[in-house]
Formats: sequence, structure tokens, C-alpha cells
Amino acid sequence: MSIRREDVLHVARLAELEVAEGDLPRLVEQLGRIVQFVAQLNEVPASERAPAFLAGPAAVRLRPDEVAPDRLIHGIDRFAPEFPHGFFAVPKLGAMDGGE
Amino acid sequence: MTWETVIGLEVHVQLLTRSKMFCGCATSFGAAPNSNVCPVCLGLPGALPVPNERAIALATRAALALGCQVHETSIFARKNYFYPDLPKGYQISQFDQPLATMGSITIESPERGRLAIGVTRLHVEEDAGKSLHDRLPGRTAVDLNRAGTPLAEIVSEPDMRSPAEARAYLTTLKQILRYCEVSDCNMEEGSLRVDANISIRRVGDTQLGTKTEVKNMNSFANVERALQVERERQIALVESGGRVEQVTMLFNAAAAEVRPMRSKEESHDYRYFPDPDLPPLALTRLWIERQHAALPELPEDKQKRFMGVLGLPPYDAGVLAADRAVADYFEAVVAQGVEAKTASNWVINDALRGYNEAGRFGVAPERLGALVALVRDGTVSNQAAKRIFGELEQGSEAPRAIAERLGLVQVGDADALGQWVDEVLAANPKEVERYRGGEAKLIGFFTGQVMKKSGGKADPKKIAPLLQEKLGNG
Amino acid sequence: MSGVAFIAEAVGRGKTTAATVAREVGARLERAAPLNATLDWSQAVLNREAARVDALRQGGGALPLAGVPIALKDNIVTTDQPTTCASRILEGYVSPFDATVVHRLRAAGAIIAAKTNLDEFAMGSSTEHSAWGRVLHPLDPSRVPGGSSGGSAALVAAGVVPAALGSETGGSVRQPASFCGIVGVKPTYGRVSRYGLVAFGSSLDQISVFGQTVDDAARVLAVISGADRFDATSATEPPPALEPARRDLTGLTFGMPREYFPADLDGSVRAALDHTAHSIQQLGGSIKEVSLPHTRYAVPTYYIVAPAEAAANLARFDGVRYGPRHVGPEGDVRALYRATRGKGFGAEVQRRILIGTYVLSSGYYDAYYRKAQQVRALLAEDFRKVFAGGVDYLLTPTTPTPAFKAGAKTADPVAMYLADIFTCSINLAALPALSLPVGRAEGLPIGAQLVGPMFSEGPMLAVAGALEAALDAKREVR
Repeated sequence: MSIRREDVLHVARLAELEVAEGDLPRLVEQLGRIVQFVAQLNEVPASERAPAFLAGPAAVRLRPDEVAPDRLIHGIDRFAPEFPHGFFAVPKLGAMDGGE
Repeated sequence: MTWETVIGLEVHVQLLTRSKMFCGCATSFGAAPNSNVCPVCLGLPGALPVPNERAIALATRAALALGCQVHETSIFARKNYFYPDLPKGYQISQFDQPLATMGSITIESPERGRLAIGVTRLHVEEDAGKSLHDRLPGRTAVDLNRAGTPLAEIVSEPDMRSPAEARAYLTTLKQILRYCEVSDCNMEEGSLRVDANISIRRVGDTQLGTKTEVKNMNSFANVERALQVERERQIALVESGGRVEQVTMLFNAAAAEVRPMRSKEESHDYRYFPDPDLPPLALTRLWIERQHAALPELPEDKQKRFMGVLGLPPYDAGVLAADRAVADYFEAVVAQGVEAKTASNWVINDALRGYNEAGRFGVAPERLGALVALVRDGTVSNQAAKRIFGELEQGSEAPRAIAERLGLVQVGDADALGQWVDEVLAANPKEVERYRGGEAKLIGFFTGQVMKKSGGKADPKKIAPLLQEKLGNG
Repeated sequence: MSGVAFIAEAVGRGKTTAATVAREVGARLERAAPLNATLDWSQAVLNREAARVDALRQGGGALPLAGVPIALKDNIVTTDQPTTCASRILEGYVSPFDATVVHRLRAAGAIIAAKTNLDEFAMGSSTEHSAWGRVLHPLDPSRVPGGSSGGSAALVAAGVVPAALGSETGGSVRQPASFCGIVGVKPTYGRVSRYGLVAFGSSLDQISVFGQTVDDAARVLAVISGADRFDATSATEPPPALEPARRDLTGLTFGMPREYFPADLDGSVRAALDHTAHSIQQLGGSIKEVSLPHTRYAVPTYYIVAPAEAAANLARFDGVRYGPRHVGPEGDVRALYRATRGKGFGAEVQRRILIGTYVLSSGYYDAYYRKAQQVRALLAEDFRKVFAGGVDYLLTPTTPTPAFKAGAKTADPVAMYLADIFTCSINLAALPALSLPVGRAEGLPIGAQLVGPMFSEGPMLAVAGALEAALDAKREVR
């Protein structure tokens, strides 16, 4: 399985990464080699229903429903790039641009 | 050509918790923008989610009330997409292993009567923040107070065949969720949101047509209207030789029209995968049983009991069971010793008006019970009791005191009644003659005259025997 | 100034003050500046930290790390100085909350000494992927100190601080510990809270410890371990008990997996490991050859799982809420995302985001991500079987070679990935492991790796203590 130019552009769009035209050939080559490298896994026989590995506890610990947030030691305006009137601000989106 | 409409609904309801789904921020509304936020719901580097037990409990109760199978193991998954009000660049949701599946609820279809609508799945997830497009000139403003609010997403089977059925499903769903105190299901405040999938096909076809998704409805009535509009659009399109495209349509209530939403190029590859920050949600049978035990009697069961045990007509039982507070009030009135149908009449004809206006019952069940007792023992007439009920809603005065203050206590005393009867008979000799001649129905005329003379205070039940006695003695 | 125990004792008993330690550390940091190991430190912050410790000491109570200066990898958030993960996308970012480990270190009396350089977002094995330039190896400036936690490793190796925190995803503490000739301990997954560690591969990440000695690392690990209400993956096991170094290894069996000793293994590394095995036998332990048959699939598995998780974890760096923002030519939100992320992330981070996005994308998920999860289970099962079969610990090389030259692997990402070949299996299997210096070749340190069963850090550190005492880590192996 090799990676094509269109694949790189497609995942770059999904990942919202700007890829310069000049960087494309090199990226296609590098990603192609990485994908070829990880595709070794196809050699491993593993049944379809083999369980996935679980790194942590077998069951999530739940939190009691209490209002107890970790507090912010300083204000959002200390780190937000644009924070007028207590809002994060971004270039205007139309009401027709859906979130999902 | 006749068309069949196929509708499935995705409903998001906000779970009634104090704190957010994955952090300890308050869920309260109306706070200053970006004030109910913390490292977790701001998606700051290094922050991690920890699930809220009550959100899981409420979602479990909802699932059980919708007849779903609740799974002992379910998995939180990341749904990846970029949007300014989605802080982490992914939403924590559930995907291929949801909390619950395979439920069903019974609705009353206007066209097809009682029928079961399948509930495909119920899962828990976190809400996004809010994007406001009119706060800042040329900018979109993002408020993350809502980000991380716990939601249950309830997906129905495509079992509905008309916009009216979709509305009936929503009404029943809301009833159940409010009963279980899972959500207040307030569409105006955004604690219930509906996305509708709709397609059309020729009657008799078994394949589903291409569906569109309709969004942006702010009431059940608007859901029905939007679906009507979209149905007409699809039919007109197909009948004119076009094809339905799988798009998302936004409903504009003011213009009563739907418009396709602009979609970004890569919109439908969410790259779901299990969230490595959250081990599996593992619930024991015992814990699930405890949630089941915490469920109240549900509207359908309650309606059946009101009919079967209390002997109410189906209409009464349905009205009373539709709202848990109404049903509870009715049962409290019955507990005062009021006969069930009488209690039902009082609740439906009198008490509901105030409840619908004020959102609460102004007359305590004890006071209504006392009023009904006054009618039963003849102290006041039915008509007078209605007047007294109006007074009861205004203050705290006891029913008997009101009856006395307004002079509504019926006179049942034989001497006083006797005197009014004597006077009426003396004033109407011709009618007395005719009665004695066999016109028995004149008893009603005499009763009316006595009531009139008493100024409405005479106890009508006691007048007839007295009249008969005097006329017979004549 | 010497080890953790020595400083904690001296400050704890009032023989010296944290303020004195802070001044000394400041002087050493100043001298170590050419290493480029730190991204942020200041005498003012050091003094403030010290004042807090001295006040805490006045309040009484035992402080296990009283006055002990500890450096933090700059992907652990702190409120007193910037946290950048060595990335332009977080340039100047000051976190409004402290990591759980920071709270625990401070409560134990430690001084947060510096934020250290790393490969951007911990992605790399040499620090050459830092946006602020690489760290120099303290013993040979032409070589890399290893990575990604190279800055922390270099500061400990240079004697600036006795201990430091790094983070591991695939070997980012053990590998630089091996290169720099110090001790590096990667705890069992879940042992240490990840709250406040900027996530790379969440199912693999674990805050890990460098020490000049086994004892230094053990003392710090004991303080930072334990369940945390802010991390749902943190384990409820109590922190590892501080066990004195064993005097002998009688009754213990050490497995040497043949897959970790390939024919082309560097000769000096092989010699150092042979010497270590010999020492184990002299201390009464036995050596047994074992097999971990899926080992060759570890690196490919790792380079699916870690980038997939990273691609999602790094989606939050979108220029909306924090960090510098770049506005794209179209002026809309998507242009903002693409410009901010395109300019903010370095080449290696972008490569991993693209790979991670690819393996999760529609049509490829089953072939890559699901498959990798299944192979990961097989890898973990290999270890489980070996430990169930009478092996107490595994003994392996930490790295295939001693520290390599700067620039040697930057042209070929896959060659750089293979630097993790002996370490990343352990992260995939969620096990505890440590790297211990066991000898030198032409002056460059060589590390041996011990791997134990889940939550065996306490006894494993006691074993490492025995080996540390028995071996001369500065001895040339041939």
C-alpha cells in the first residue's frame, strides 16, 4: 500500500494542516515509507475478534456530581490570542456553517 | 402517485446534573461568558476528562425507561472534527459500543393509533460550546460555558411515517424523560434538540429512499412543520424528475422553509476511536438494577393503573398521566378520600388551568379534599364549590370559612326550608291544583321557586321530600 | 550538593536552607547554559520556590524532598513559567494550572528548578526536533543526549540537579538515561497521574523519572505516584515503597529475551550486557534465555498507536484559545487553523499528525489502527507469559547503540523510530522498566534495561540498587 499525493492532501485537510506545494513530494515519499514500515503488521495473523489491548484500569472510575472544578490561577486573557468582552473571537462564521 | 414518508429522529437531551460531564464546572446557565470553565472544558494542554457518575446514572435510567438494553461495558470514543466551539478538536461521545441499545416506546399516532417506535440506541456525550455570530462586528464569538455539558443522544428507528407521528414520538419521549427526572427537556432553552432524518418512497417500496437531515427546529410544532415542508420539497423534486441528495437542511421557522447547510469538504470522516483517556465504562448488573429501582412508574403504566384500579375513563387517565406532577397531584387528592372520578373532574376541569399558567398547583390536595367533602355532606352546592375553588387559589383561607364568608352554606334546616316551601305553595295555588291533578313534573317548578326564594342557599336534595310531604298533606 | 537523600536530609534538619540550594542550582544552571538543556529558568523563580520550601519547613512536618531541586520536562504544565513543549505553537504559553506532579513535588518540599528542552511534543529520540535547537550531550557535544526528554537527562548527567522528570511514550526517558549514563525509570502505566502532562499518546504516556542514582529516582517516584481524581487512568495502587537496595539477588531469575540481542547489536552494548548478566550471577541471581516472539512488530505497532492518539491530542492546538495565531490568506476560520498549525508545528510533528490521521481515516482504520490494537495485545501477552513462567525481571539493552552523532538520523524518520526498538514494547505493554548505566565504550555510557511485571517498581528498584553497587558504570567495557 503506498501513499499518493491525493492521500496526503486529503489527510492534511482532515488535520487542518497547511502543506506547502514545495514540501509535497518529500512528504509523499516520507509518509509512504512510514506507511510501508507500519504495514508489516499485516504479516501478523490475528483474528477479527481479538480483543484490543487496554493500558489502564479495567473500568473507569467515576466522579461524584459535585461542582468542584480545578481553578484557573490566572485569567483566560493571559493566554487567549483574541478575547474581547469575555469571548474567544474567530473570523466570522455564517450561521449556515454547521459544527458537525 | 402516493408517497410514504419515513422519519427517524435523533434527540439530544441535557442531563440534569449539577456539574459537567467530564469536569467539576457548574452546568448553570446565564453566567457571564466563559466563566463556568476550567482546564478540562477549555481543552487546555494537559487536562484530562473524568466522567460524572450522576450523568451516567441518569442516562441509564433514561435508557431503562425507554426499554433499552443497558450494556455492562460501553466505550467512550473521540469524534474528531474542527470547529471553534469544540475545544479539544474532538467530542467525547460513544460510537460502536454505546451505553444502551434496542429500546422502544409506545406512541399514539394520529393516523395509525397506538404503535411502538424503536429506539436504536442511547449514548452519553459532551456538548460543544456556543458560537455567537452577532455579538462582535465581523467576528464569531465563542462562549464555552456550555462546553462539556452532559447529553444523552437518543436515536430512533426510522419507524415514523408522518410529521405528526414524529411529533407524537417527541411528546411521549419528553413525557418519559421528564417523569424520570433525567432532563427538563426544554427546547427553548436548548435542553432538548432534535435532528430529523426524512426520506420518501413509493407506497409499497421496501427500500429506503435517500434521506436528508433537518435541523434547527425550536419546538415540537416546528419539527412537524419543518418535516412537512421537507417532505413536500422531496416529493416535488422527485416528481419533477430530480433526485434527493443526502444533505443537511436548516429550517427557517419565520419563512417556513428549509435550506441546505453549507458543508465543509471533509465533513463526514470523524475518525472515531476509543478515547485512551477513559477506560471502559463498566457497570455492574447490581448498579444497573439500582437505577431501574429508582425509576418512577412511567406514564403508560400509570394510565393503565388509573383505568384499571381507579376506574377512570381512558381520556381522564391519559390527561392525568401525561405529566408526572399532575398525576402526583391527582393521586394526592384521591388520598384525601375523594372518589377517583370526582377527583379527576376537579383536577382536569379546575386545577389544571392554574397549573398550566403558573407551573404549579395553587390549591393543596388537603384543601381540595376538604372542599369536596363540603359538597359531599351537602354543606355547599357543586356550583358554590366552583366559586370557592377560585377563592382557594387566591389565599390560604379554609374552604368552610370561604363558604361562610360568601354565604354559600346551604340551608338544610327543616324549619327554614318549611317556611320557604309554605310561601311558594301559597303563592302558586294554580300550580298546586295542577300537581294534585297529576302533573308530577311540576315538582321541578316548585323546587326552582324555593331555590330562588332562598337566594340559592337551600339544599336542593332536601326540598323535594319536603314538597312532596306538604303537597300530599294539602 | 549531592543526591536527593543528602539534600533532603540537610535541608530537613536545618543544616542548610532551600535558599542556599537555590543559589547553588542557579549557578550550575548558568554554567550548564551551553548544553541548551533548559527552555526556562530564572533565579527569581528558584528563589521563590526556595522561600516556599523554607516556609513549609518552618511549619513542621516531614518533607521527603525538602529543598531538592528538580527539573521538569517542558511538556509538564506549570503556572510560574511558560510551558511550550518545545513547539512554536505554544510559544509564550503560561498554563493557568499546575500538573498534579507539580503539586505533589511541592508538597514534598521540592524546588521546581527549570523547564527542560525536548523534542517538540516529545516526538523524537534526540532533541533535534526541538523548535529551540537540540540539547548537547554533556560528555560529547557532537552527540545527542537522546530524547525526547534530552534536556532533563542532560541536566542530571551534568550534575546540575540530582533528579528530573521526563515523560515516556516509547522510551523517551530510558533512552536518554542510557545515552547520558544516568538512571531512568518508566513506571507502570497509571502509576503517576498524567494530569498536566501535555498528551502525546495517551495510552502510552507516563511521567517518568531521571536520577543520578537509583535511590534518587526511587525517592522522587515515591512522591509523585498514586491515584489522582483528575486522571481517570491513574491506578489506585499505593505508591511504591522505598526499599533499600538488595545485597544479593539470590532466588531471582532474569530473563534475557533473544529478540533483544540481534546479530547486528553494537558490540560494546553486547559486552556491557554480558558483563551485567555476569554480575547478576555473581550476586546469586540466575539468567535464563527467553523469547518475546512479537518483538519485531513493536515499532510498527507503536508508530500506528502513538501517531493516531497524537493526531487527536494535538487537534486542540488550533489558535482559537491559546498560543500564537496565524491568519491564512483567505481570512476565514479554516485558513486560520491551517496557517496556525502549519506554521506552529515542526516537520516531525506534522508527519506524525498526518500518519495518525491517515491510520484512523475511513477505509484504513481496520487495516492499521484496529490491527495495531490487536498486535499490542499479543505483545503484552508475550510479557505476561514470560513473567508467569518463572522469570522475575527481564534484562535487555536499553538502546541498540551508545549516543549517536547529531544529524545521523534526521534525514530518515524510520531510522530515528528504530532508536526506540528496545523500549517501546514496554510502553505498549504498560509495564514498568528502568535503564541503569552499566559501563562505557570510548567514554560513552551504555545502559541496561530491567523490565518487571505490573506495579513491581519497588522491588525492581531494590534489584537495580544491588546492580548499581556491584557495577562500575564508568568502566570501559572493552
